[in-house]
Amino acid sequence: MDPHTLALMYARNFMFMFYGFSAAWLIVAVYVISLARRGARLKKELDDVRRLTDSADSPL
Amino acid sequence: MREKFVVGLAAAAGLLLAFDLYRILLVLPDEAMQGAIYRIMFFHIPAALTGFTGYFVALILSVLYLSSGNLKYDSLAASVTEVALVFSCVNIVTGSIWARVIWGIWWTWDYRLTSTLISILIYAGYLMLRRAIDEPTQRARLSAALSIFGCVDVVIIWKSIEWFRTQHPGPVLSIRTGGGNIDPAMEHMIYYNLLAILMLATALVLVRTRQEDISREIDSLRRTANAAERNIA
Amino acid sequence: MRTIRQSLQVARKDLAVELRTKESLNAAGAFAIVILLLFSFAFDPAAEETKEIAGGLLWLVFAFAGALVFNRGFARELPNECLDALLSSPLSPASLLMGKASANFIMLLVVEALSLLVFGIFYNMRWWLRPWELAGIFALATWGISVVGAVFGALTVNLRLRELMLPVLIYPLLIPLLMSAIVLTNTLLANGAMTADQLIWVRVLGVFDVVFTALAVALAETILVN
Repeated sequence: MDPHTLALMYARNFMFMFYGFSAAWLIVAVYVISLARRGARLKKELDDVRRLTDSADSPL
Repeated sequence: MREKFVVGLAAAAGLLLAFDLYRILLVLPDEAMQGAIYRIMFFHIPAALTGFTGYFVALILSVLYLSSGNLKYDSLAASVTEVALVFSCVNIVTGSIWARVIWGIWWTWDYRLTSTLISILIYAGYLMLRRAIDEPTQRARLSAALSIFGCVDVVIIWKSIEWFRTQHPGPVLSIRTGGGNIDPAMEHMIYYNLLAILMLATALVLVRTRQEDISREIDSLRRTANAAERNIA
Repeated sequence: MRTIRQSLQVARKDLAVELRTKESLNAAGAFAIVILLLFSFAFDPAAEETKEIAGGLLWLVFAFAGALVFNRGFARELPNECLDALLSSPLSPASLLMGKASANFIMLLVVEALSLLVFGIFYNMRWWLRPWELAGIFALATWGISVVGAVFGALTVNLRLRELMLPVLIYPLLIPLLMSAIVLTNTLLANGAMTADQLIWVRVLGVFDVVFTALAVALAETILVN
């Protein structure tokens, strides 16, 4: 294979390698972000419900 | 205390991954036949192993839940399955990108790809089932049953699809081939990355499990609040 | 054994109810014929290639029609709290599940027989060349589908989105069984030889049936306890 085609092939290989790495990390990042958002939402909900039960207890 | 452990674990995983990336990109040479693209393997194989290990761990946790009735096992099983599913997706996507370069096609109906895809569908169904049931004990019970059926089926799927002709590269890890198929430096890299990814997966599982527990606490607090309201009224 | 006797009682009850109204059989049968008709537009019935994929077409039809049958299986017990009554009776959960599976099995076999007839007519296929082997394969595969259908029918009976969840859950699980059935049916419809390779698929069917029946019996109480 002539050097020019070889160089093109290597360049393409590198590009796809970075696509591959990016894809892997993107998927994990999206999951971590969704976890973080769910965690924040749950914490807020917990605080809300705790306040609700505290106020429900106090009139008694 | 537990949060510190999770953060520490994630940080250690991150450091190891950074170190691995340095070695993967700058130290290891290109593979003779494939060029640079083979480096995807260092994430593709550990992701696959993490995914399938997760399914088996979920099976064990499901059995533990069914025999003990302790809902903590259910939280753990759900978290492990979810994280395993994420890494199985990483597995399929990285494999697909590699295949585009090496074989020229995005997908082929080879046995490993097909089995992995079917496993993803089964466990996506598991997550859908969990979302469809509100009552915690019923949810735990039925998910455990599905997890057991699913994992047994994954094993059957692997063995039965294996009998079709395969296009996927054969085993390269020396534990399966007895050595000689792969440069030892590359093989060690796979194991290091596997360790890093397992650590990351464990940290994610711990975070997710805590969220499941909080979710259940919210649920029980709501019921208490409802009951208290009804008492007052 | 008592469990077998109880299962047969449950199966007989279900089949008796079904014979009176024929709602599942009519729906599943009509559905099967419609799908075969649709397939005849998608895949030219006269072409040679279609003969090669005949097994695949048939088993897809059976899988889709089966979902209709399984949905009704436990759902029919919901009105008037019949399901609660069944669960509180001395009937063991395993016999209830196996009884439902047996009823599913018979009903699905009826639908399959009907589909085979219609298929033979639409696609001009002589399916009677190897009747006993074909019947054997159909029986093995249909039992596997029926067991999985019964288990997941029970699992999803109380869910809001039952009709959606049931197919979503069972089709990925049934893939090894459907695969084996398709390969073997293709061979038998083409009157090919049952080589050692083909016998592997028979073994897959057998393993699937045994493993999933055992799992169903073992987990029956988990799935059916209220």
